[in-house]
Amino acid sequence: MKLPLWLRWRSDRELDEEIQAHLELEIQNNLDRGMPPAEARFAALRTFGNPTRVRERARENDLLTAAEGLLQDIRYSLRTLRKSPTFTLVVVASLALGIGANTAIFSLIDTALLKMLPVRNPEQLVQLKSISPAIGLDDAFGYPAFKELRGATQVFSGVLAFRKLYDMDFEVDGHGGLANGQLVSGEYFSLLGVQAILGRTILPGDEKAPGQSPVAVIGYDYWRERFALDPEVVGKKIVLNNSPFTIVGVTPPEFFGLEPGARIDVSVPLNMVAQVRPDFAAPGTPYDVFTAPFRNWLYVLARLKPGVAKEQALANLEPIFARTRRESAEGLSGLPFDSPAVRRAFVATKLQLDSGGQGLATVRARFSKPLWIVMAVVALLLIVTCANIANLLLARGNARQREIAVRLAIGASRSRLIRQLVVESVLLGLGGGAFGLLLAFWAGRSLLLLMSHSRAPILLNVHPDGTVLIFTLSVSLFTALLFGIVPACRAAQQTIRTSGKATSRSTFGNALVVVQVAVSLVLVMGAGLLTRTLVNLKDFYPGFNQDRVLLFSVNPLMTGYRESQLVSLYERLLDRFNAIPGVRSATFSVHSPLSAGFSSTQLNVQGYRPPSDRELASVGVEAVGPEYFRTVETTVLLGRDFTAADRAGGPKVSILNKTAAHFYFGDTSPIGRRVNMPGYRGDPSWLEIVAVVEDAKYHDLREQAAPMIYIPLFQSPESGVTFEVRTGIDPASAATALINAIKATDSRLPVFGVKTLRSQLDDSLLQERLVASLSSAFGALALLLAGVGLYGLMAYSVNRRTNEIGIRMALGARPVEIARMVLRETLLLAGLGLAIGIPASMIASRLIASELYGLKPGDATTVLLAILVTSGIAALAGYLPARRASRVDPMIALRYE
Amino acid sequence: MSPRVTERNPEDRIQLLQGTLDLLILQTLVFGPCHGHGIATGIERTSEEVLLIDHGSLYPALQRLERAGLIASEWGTSDKNRRARFYKLTRSGRARLAAETGKWEKMVRAVGRILRARGEEAT
Repeated sequence: MKLPLWLRWRSDRELDEEIQAHLELEIQNNLDRGMPPAEARFAALRTFGNPTRVRERARENDLLTAAEGLLQDIRYSLRTLRKSPTFTLVVVASLALGIGANTAIFSLIDTALLKMLPVRNPEQLVQLKSISPAIGLDDAFGYPAFKELRGATQVFSGVLAFRKLYDMDFEVDGHGGLANGQLVSGEYFSLLGVQAILGRTILPGDEKAPGQSPVAVIGYDYWRERFALDPEVVGKKIVLNNSPFTIVGVTPPEFFGLEPGARIDVSVPLNMVAQVRPDFAAPGTPYDVFTAPFRNWLYVLARLKPGVAKEQALANLEPIFARTRRESAEGLSGLPFDSPAVRRAFVATKLQLDSGGQGLATVRARFSKPLWIVMAVVALLLIVTCANIANLLLARGNARQREIAVRLAIGASRSRLIRQLVVESVLLGLGGGAFGLLLAFWAGRSLLLLMSHSRAPILLNVHPDGTVLIFTLSVSLFTALLFGIVPACRAAQQTIRTSGKATSRSTFGNALVVVQVAVSLVLVMGAGLLTRTLVNLKDFYPGFNQDRVLLFSVNPLMTGYRESQLVSLYERLLDRFNAIPGVRSATFSVHSPLSAGFSSTQLNVQGYRPPSDRELASVGVEAVGPEYFRTVETTVLLGRDFTAADRAGGPKVSILNKTAAHFYFGDTSPIGRRVNMPGYRGDPSWLEIVAVVEDAKYHDLREQAAPMIYIPLFQSPESGVTFEVRTGIDPASAATALINAIKATDSRLPVFGVKTLRSQLDDSLLQERLVASLSSAFGALALLLAGVGLYGLMAYSVNRRTNEIGIRMALGARPVEIARMVLRETLLLAGLGLAIGIPASMIASRLIASELYGLKPGDATTVLLAILVTSGIAALAGYLPARRASRVDPMIALRYE
Repeated sequence: MSPRVTERNPEDRIQLLQGTLDLLILQTLVFGPCHGHGIATGIERTSEEVLLIDHGSLYPALQRLERAGLIASEWGTSDKNRRARFYKLTRSGRARLAAETGKWEKMVRAVGRILRARGEEAT
């Protein structure tokens, strides 16, 4: 292709003209000297030299000639690639797979782990936390502490606080619905720099006296889902958790709150807490959320003033915070759980500042390690893919020997040839990258679904943005050079050595296969360890039986019930449930097993003074319904289950789990002993221990069982319970009947969180399943590619040696011996790969040690299995060419070539 | 690639050092604008026919010099009433010539000294 004339330094035509003029002058000179015309012309041409060569040399001066040559190379490469569609398809498809996997995982990492919040100057934000030797790290602060921190205006340009409210009842025009909400301090939106796209946000002026500002701001997505983007939404009256509010504005679409992966549907001012969560706010008591210093319920973020470092801010805040803690400790007097130890713990609490520009670390903390592991897996997969393509290109270079020889013969320079071959690789890389991007876009969404919990879906906005595009482009170019350069150089060199001993090809090809086998072993071994971890976790008895249990939740206080009505409502519901055919037993609890939550408090044992190192030890408290342990099938080791008779007015009772019983009573039986826990809802009354039950997992299956105390919910009524119903049939099929039973009791009571206990258990294994399944899939793919690579190499070598094999056979070698020879060569390569792969996988498995459960990083069974699988594939890859070699007909083989 | 320069006796062909042709072109243009053919014959004549140039090799060199801004060119009419491209020295070309001439002379002196020294040793 020629460049347009205007782009060139000087047109060829002009140069031709100049050369022509030169020649004419010289001819004239010669004529003047008396030469005959023919000779004059001939002499002029001889003096001038080759005009074509002059033109070429002149053009090399041209900078743009380089670009012109590149365009030529691209056109030529495209033509060559089009001529071998199978090769192109195989390379582009495998690259698309490799690059697509990398892009998909990277875009997840970018969104979930690296991205900053979509707010003004997120890098200035810090999250405040407190840390103490007794309690550890605490993300939340009490309101009094927040008030003090707000005053630190010399280091902060502002401080904000918020609290998430899960599963709010959001009623519009008499229709209920669920929403994720948050309580925010007045400066929340202005400090973040988030402007309303409609109406206004919540402003500092909204934070008035408790209950005085019933205004709400809704999120864009909720506006779309519930109001179909109705612009008239501002001014609309709504009911949140049975309390009236007015919508004043809508936040922009990119704003999701301060917790990546979650979504805020509605925000209301902090001072409205008693309206939306009356059970939580406890106004007018010593536990009032606005005055009690020990009620840590607010997440606090601040914006550093420009030029103020975190350390400087911390130094400035320390004295203020220390004073707050001292005052708080004094404020404990008269409270049932006041003790010198508690006060000491209060005073010993220190402030900590973390970067807050990425928001709360919930998703980040959960998926950081798994995502990086999967990223490493796909990177290794890409290396295996590259090795395969490099091998393909080597073979192709050999097949193109004739073409390359011709091009060299007609004057192509070697560097130009290499450039053209590299351009070919780059085109392949870019093609793979482009399709990979499409694949990643599609896979990214599926991956998010895989990551999402059924209860709390992960709402990340994964789409290929600039960062991801740059990543994909650089990965494409990098891989293209990785697999392209060596084969290109080899191909260009090969024709010099006319003897055609392709030894270098074999050495490099062998090295590629060895690398593939080694990397595959690492991936297979990792996948094996992670899969067995998943199996171990699933097989482990979690302290309950997750089969055929249906879960669903209600929160009657949110729809207008009074606390005194709760017990009778729950009893009526249980009666209805038990009357449904197929229901074996029904109960309820504040938290269901593996729902990742319980309250904790300190426990006092009557007549027992704990040693000082244990005085602040806490136990988990769980209020449960009658026949709870029979229903979830937690073994009662000693004593009896709770019954319907354990209610207000009756003797106050409690049940300990095995860990708690052992912690407080050692080997003696705790039955009949009495405990109290004044820190739990301020009730100091003594509870008789009536049973000891097996430990059950509450947070996740890996946890060390925590000490737990169970109390009858009828003796300590709470709103917001989850029912556990064990059925004789498929629990999902009983769901309709159960929900109808609730509707029949009270049609206005919203039911949420309907699912089976098994799915809740599966949810808790989400990361493990994600990592195990992805690493298995990619490991299998890598193994397949390595197998194909090995097969290709051996098949090629057999093909090349047909002649030699024929001679061997003619000299009396038996087919078995020939097959053995080929197979031995294959296994030698595979063995070399394993020799490198085994130590490498040992190192790799140590890196994922923290993700394993029930087995060690160098688990012998897994190692052996991985070696067996990898060498099995290698043997298979070698067997096919070996069989072909053994069937070579010496007569035909000798005539070969 | 350096331009090939031939002496009267074809067996004594030598390869000119890189950049020498450039220097010769610049020097020739000191006497005023000139077209390619004029430069070629000028060099030959001035060197008393010791240096013969492949005329063709002149043109890539002229383009290179023009791109570097050392010479400029325009179409004009030769003394024999023919159309030809005339090259002339630019200000920076003049400066470069002065600098290069100085360097060249220094080098010739140095090389000459070394060669003479060896010659004396040998005798």
